[in-house]
Amino acid sequence: MHPMALDAVLMVLALAAYAAGAIVLVVYFFSREEWTRNLGAALAVAGCAAQFAQLAARYAETHIWPLLNLYGSLSLFSAVAVAIFIAFAFRYRLWFAGGFLLAIAALFLAYGTTWNEGVMPAVPSLQSYWAKIHVPLVVSSYGAFLVSFVFSGVYLTRYYVERRLVPAVASGSTNDEVAGWLGTLPSLTQLDILVYRAVSVGLPLLTLGIITGAAWAHEAWGAYWQWDPKETAALASWILYASYMHLHTRASWRGLRCSWWSVIAFASVIFCYLGVNIWISGLHSYKV
Amino acid sequence: MASAQPLNNLKSDVLRLLGNVTVGVTLLALWGVLTLIGVVVEQGKDPTSYFASYPAPIARAILRLDFNDIYHSVWYLLSIGLVLASMTTATFTKVIPRRLPPHRAVKVDAIPLHDHVTIAGDAESVRARVEQFFTTRGWRVSKREIDGTIWAFADRFNWARVGVLVNHTAILIIAAGAILYWAWGFSGETAVLSGEASQIPQTHALIRLDRFSYTIEPIMTKGGIVYQPIDYVSHVTVVGRNGIPTPMIVRVNHPIDLDGTLVYQASYGFAMRFLIFHGRALVRALSGRALLEGDAFAIPGTGRSVVYERFVPTIDPRTHLPSPDPRVSDPGAVLGVIESGIPLGEMLVPLRTALDLGDGWRVVPERQVVYSGFQYRYDPGVPLVAVGAGLLLIGLVISFYFLPARLHVRVDDAGGDRAIVGVAATTVKGYDIFEEAFRDLIAALRQNQG
Ligand code: HEM
Repeated sequence: MHPMALDAVLMVLALAAYAAGAIVLVVYFFSREEWTRNLGAALAVAGCAAQFAQLAARYAETHIWPLLNLYGSLSLFSAVAVAIFIAFAFRYRLWFAGGFLLAIAALFLAYGTTWNEGVMPAVPSLQSYWAKIHVPLVVSSYGAFLVSFVFSGVYLTRYYVERRLVPAVASGSTNDEVAGWLGTLPSLTQLDILVYRAVSVGLPLLTLGIITGAAWAHEAWGAYWQWDPKETAALASWILYASYMHLHTRASWRGLRCSWWSVIAFASVIFCYLGVNIWISGLHSYKV
Repeated sequence: MASAQPLNNLKSDVLRLLGNVTVGVTLLALWGVLTLIGVVVEQGKDPTSYFASYPAPIARAILRLDFNDIYHSVWYLLSIGLVLASMTTATFTKVIPRRLPPHRAVKVDAIPLHDHVTIAGDAESVRARVEQFFTTRGWRVSKREIDGTIWAFADRFNWARVGVLVNHTAILIIAAGAILYWAWGFSGETAVLSGEASQIPQTHALIRLDRFSYTIEPIMTKGGIVYQPIDYVSHVTVVGRNGIPTPMIVRVNHPIDLDGTLVYQASYGFAMRFLIFHGRALVRALSGRALLEGDAFAIPGTGRSVVYERFVPTIDPRTHLPSPDPRVSDPGAVLGVIESGIPLGEMLVPLRTALDLGDGWRVVPERQVVYSGFQYRYDPGVPLVAVGAGLLLIGLVISFYFLPARLHVRVDDAGGDRAIVGVAATTVKGYDIFEEAFRDLIAALRQNQG
């Protein structure tokens, strides 16, 4: 088979696995049937493996580092998010949240395929070993933040459903089924800690990503910090997650408010990742 | 002495305010928002361009609040200054006292993470066995007698309590590095024509461009042909402090070090040499000088001047318009003519052909001269920033992955050759984060000793 065709086949496989896995795991979220969890987990693992194989196949064929455009970078983003989620899911039995994560990963991946421009060698400033270090670090941090975002989403869902439900249960006007189902989710406290743990993966990665970016900028452009829109937006996200970490030391902020904060911080990550690339030009639009 | 009191009160109020974590986070968030404003509002543009992009009141506000150069504005520097002040105050007033608590007695039942385990044996021997149990699991156990009761304290990752200090110190070190550049560093840009030399004004070092080469490849993509630059290389001879001319190569991503000043490949372009004729005669005084893009020269005795707008590497032979191919094959120059300050228009003039300017004047773009754009920078703060960045990373890993926890253990005789072991746990991050581990630990204790 032509290797580029292999690239495309693996991409389609990954997308199909994520889409199917998303559906199966959303069913699991509501039904708690064990077989849906097992099938969904297998699909998540298969899709993730297909994605890494796709990136490797593309690199092997073109000898061009595949992460320097949105096609490759979004692919790594969803692959890392799914990989980090899989690790969390095995460690903390969290497959119930997998449907949402896989659905989001599939959307980003599908969006990434619209940026496939074919094979392009890198412009001189991107021909650096730093590209091989900096880009995966930053993209992986975004992946971890996506996981924390999904956990925040589950936290907020549980929080608001519970708030509606508890008075209803007390007055006997609702069935116990929903309450029973809620009980199968981790407690709010546990969900809050999960968000924190995912941020604990993302923030050191983002810090390292910004540091390696600064080292690269120092080498390529002469200054480790240039207030370029991309690096500045990354700084803003970093500040928001550093604030999250501080707020999480306050008992009154843990839980609800911290979950909202993590949602806002993730919005700034997406702005930094996609918004800046698409709307704002700067050194990271790669001129020299 | 009487006036010292209000002053002291003010000082302690300010310190309390700055050391408050919520105030600190608000300042951090403010810094984040200002940073984002700088991403959204384009920086360093001509004032008129803001009026072109925004409604007039917003454009005026942008200019008045210095949002067009936000990272050098008073606001921005003030926000960073306040963050640093708040962080430092919090470190001394909160972090250090709270994070290094002395061993003291507690009410076990009053601490949310607590449990009791009944174990056979007298208090003394049970205490020894429980201590042994924690020690083999990696806890560091120490004993104190407080008000007649013997307490055992088991600490885990006690050293990691300094994580916050490492982080906060790292941020201060990075700030110090940035200040060093601000105080003693410099940077600039210079364009050096092939065969010519340029001096770095601050150090008087000389850079001569012997040759510049570049590679551009046409690449077929889904959207059509794209001309992708592959490499830029400047062959230079530099003369630094030692006075010895030294040949060197500068390429993108590979700066050279000139007595501590780093010189980077930043850009390249084409200057143009013109021949200027009046009647049939070459006007030597005006000819031969190389003009950079955007430069102009005036035609004597007229109100006219000619601007060298830009270089066109290839003129399409069919359309006679600039081709998108950036490789030089059939070059030309776009010239603008200005009459008494009013632009009359632009012309694409092939090389070695004349443009008639009227009154017997003709101008001929004769030959392009490639130049290399260098950026140079001396930054004495880099080592500090690098050390700070490394520390920051280490501090984050410590803070996130090594959770210091303390077990407060007391063993009391329960009669009938049994002892009750009361254990309460505290961590630097509240109780929830340690709950699971605590339950596992107590379950293991029960199983091991029960
Ligand atoms: C406005 C500025 C800041 C203030 C007022 C501040 C204050 C504090 C305080 C009081 C704590 C201890 C919280 C507790 O144990 O209850 C803390 C923890 C911490 N700070 Fe800061 N800080 C600031 C900025 C920063 C920055 C910019 C960083 C860089 C990443 C940072 C990193 C940390 C870390 C890693 C912790 C430990 C968090 C944890 O263990 O969960 N701080 N900070």
